Amino acid sequence: MNSLYEGLSVTVVGMGIVFGILILLYFILIGMKLVFYKDPKKAPVAVEKQEIKQDTVTADEDNEDLDEDELIAVLTAAVASSLNQSTYNLNIRSFRRIDQNSPVWNTVSRKEQIANRL
Amino acid sequence: MIETVLNFLDKSGINELNIPTLIMFGIVAVLLYLAIVKKFEPLLLLPIAFGVLLANLPNAGLMHPELFEGGHLDIIEIVDKGGLLDLLYLGVKLGIYPPLIFLGVGAMTDFGPLIANPKSILLGAAAQIGIFTTFIGAILLGFIPAIGFTIEQAASTGIIGGADGPTAIFVTKTLAPELLGPIAIAAYSYMALVPIIQPPIMKALTTKKERMIVMEQLRPVSKVEKIVFPVIVAAVVTIIIPDAGALIGMLMLGNLIRESGVVERLNKTVQNELINIITIFLGVTVGATANANTFLDPKTLGIVVLGLLAFSMSTAGGVLFAKLMCKLSGGKINPLIGSAGVSAVPMAARVSQTVGQKENPSNFLLMHAMGPNVAGVIGSAVAAGVFLAMYAK
Repeated sequence: MNSLYEGLSVTVVGMGIVFGILILLYFILIGMKLVFYKDPKKAPVAVEKQEIKQDTVTADEDNEDLDEDELIAVLTAAVASSLNQSTYNLNIRSFRRIDQNSPVWNTVSRKEQIANRL
Repeated sequence: MIETVLNFLDKSGINELNIPTLIMFGIVAVLLYLAIVKKFEPLLLLPIAFGVLLANLPNAGLMHPELFEGGHLDIIEIVDKGGLLDLLYLGVKLGIYPPLIFLGVGAMTDFGPLIANPKSILLGAAAQIGIFTTFIGAILLGFIPAIGFTIEQAASTGIIGGADGPTAIFVTKTLAPELLGPIAIAAYSYMALVPIIQPPIMKALTTKKERMIVMEQLRPVSKVEKIVFPVIVAAVVTIIIPDAGALIGMLMLGNLIRESGVVERLNKTVQNELINIITIFLGVTVGATANANTFLDPKTLGIVVLGLLAFSMSTAGGVLFAKLMCKLSGGKINPLIGSAGVSAVPMAARVSQTVGQKENPSNFLLMHAMGPNVAGVIGSAVAAGVFLAMYAK
């Protein structure tokens, strides 16, 4: 019975220490963010973004009538695969290009997904 | 002529073959099958299985467990009388291999998702509950006279819940070296079974709505943060728990080698050649500790049952804590990432991703789950440090 009591007290102390240290690291991480991290959502970046948008639109217009069918096929396949459905159930009525504003992190993660073939 | 043949037969191991040895051969066959056909953590299970085989070959004299009995290591005697595996086993006994494996693991780990989302570090702590509940479970099981775990053996069994092979080996070689074989085999086998053990528990503890939660994009992490992180963690954790220093210190050194970007050659070596070489030595010698005398014991059965309990409790602890965080954050955290807190990098994070994607095919949880996943490695090393600080003689 003594060993059970000891086990329970080790559990309480042990979990306390594990949580204590990781909570300490949590605050250190918050501190690191404050000291070393600069939010990229600042004015100069916004201007850059608009320029890129302009470029994309012109590029789009050039190719518009070139491979629309192919693009629709690709879009249908992508949507079907994402929803786990057959392409027969889908009908792409219209599509519109939106500017690429997902962060690099997101793109990298998605590429890793594909690489890992999950 | 006949006498020569008889002499030869006398020296050979054929006479020594007995039922326990044959049972051990059967276990070797099962382990090799799991490693080669089922691909259960083959990198470790294959050398472990072969180590079991080598140690149980009669008269080969590759491994002498009696040289390592008792608290004191007589190096000269080991060098004099020891076989090949005895000499390699010194690396386990002296606590050299597990930290070196951690060096490689550190070089392969990206702490970015954890730095980007510091809250996920708490999940790495919550998922360690399995270690301690199993520890209590082992003490309770110890009341059955046939099993009779000592408190040190209970601690070593509990650490299986950390889902971290090197950590389990590091603790066990100090606290209960006689159980090294079964504990290492249980830890690595269950790690390979994470994709089967975790999903039912994750589904049972969460609602469909919770599983479908799409989490906010992680912020980008600067290089300075990635470089400062390992230095601070190594210093802070080791100052508080010196016994975790060898594991955490090496893990963070490996990570600094990776993130600093100035020692590409070292980075390549610790990620590949070094960790591979150590894996072979570690696997074979850990397997070699499983001889028929120690392995064919009711304790092994207890370890197998408790190991499963450890993984399940850790998973449940992580998921339930993530559920709590989900409630507190107003539904911004998907509870599925909690199960990744058990470490078992990167398998557990992939399980969170796959289970999440089954509910919501356009949901990408992998990077969010990597945060608790790498935090789990730190968490289990801290828990290991706690046990070592309390019970190491």
